Amino acid sequence: MLILSRRVGECVTIGNDIVVRVVSISGNQIRLGITAPREVRVLREEIFNAIQQENRAAANPPDSTRGLEDAYKRLRNKTPEHTDD
Amino acid sequence: MTDSEFTVTQVAEQAALELVGKDLFFPNGLLGFPDDRRYRLSRFNTGASGESPFFILESMDHELSFPVIHPDLVALDYRVPVSPEILAGLDATTAADLVLFLIVTVRERVEDITINLQGPLIVNSASLIGIQFVIEEYPVRYALIRADSTK
Repeated sequence: MLILSRRVGECVTIGNDIVVRVVSISGNQIRLGITAPREVRVLREEIFNAIQQENRAAANPPDSTRGLEDAYKRLRNKTPEHTDD
Repeated sequence: MTDSEFTVTQVAEQAALELVGKDLFFPNGLLGFPDDRRYRLSRFNTGASGESPFFILESMDHELSFPVIHPDLVALDYRVPVSPEILAGLDATTAADLVLFLIVTVRERVEDITINLQGPLIVNSASLIGIQFVIEEYPVRYALIRADSTK
């Protein structure tokens, strides 16, 4: 891992078009300003990990047919409208 | 600012149905699955009770599929802020072309099935380009069947 020291207001550039700036420091909290092309996804690591983990949990469910059918029955039963058919 | 956001309840089921059978392209894949970019949507039909609100998003690159739900069925105040950057990333000119799906995590007990509100899928029905968007304010696991509706 590359480790660099920066002061408030100073930047690090990554590749040709990503810039990370130290905006402010308050106690143990550091605010970063990130400039990147819109196709580059910038996320807090814990958010990235949570969604990645949930995607993996949702992928290829082993018995999805029965699970979805059960869920559908429950959802249908609690929907009060459409009583005319 | 109302032009730049839409509620899931405004998304017509018809818009989702029109994507069935189409080849969808997710340039960045889904989080954790960056190599799967081409997907096809099919409707999940239940055996006895006919058409359901669920769809299956199936990768055409590997053996990989996700159950997703048409969000009209989930009664909650759910808003996706659509920035110009998102529209541009989806090659969209208007939010009216966008269709939302929520990934369903099927678990053994029906009460444990959750939907992912934090990482919705947004598909541009015109360009067939999709992204997994991230909205930090929403939970990653939201019970599909609410506890207060079990009677």
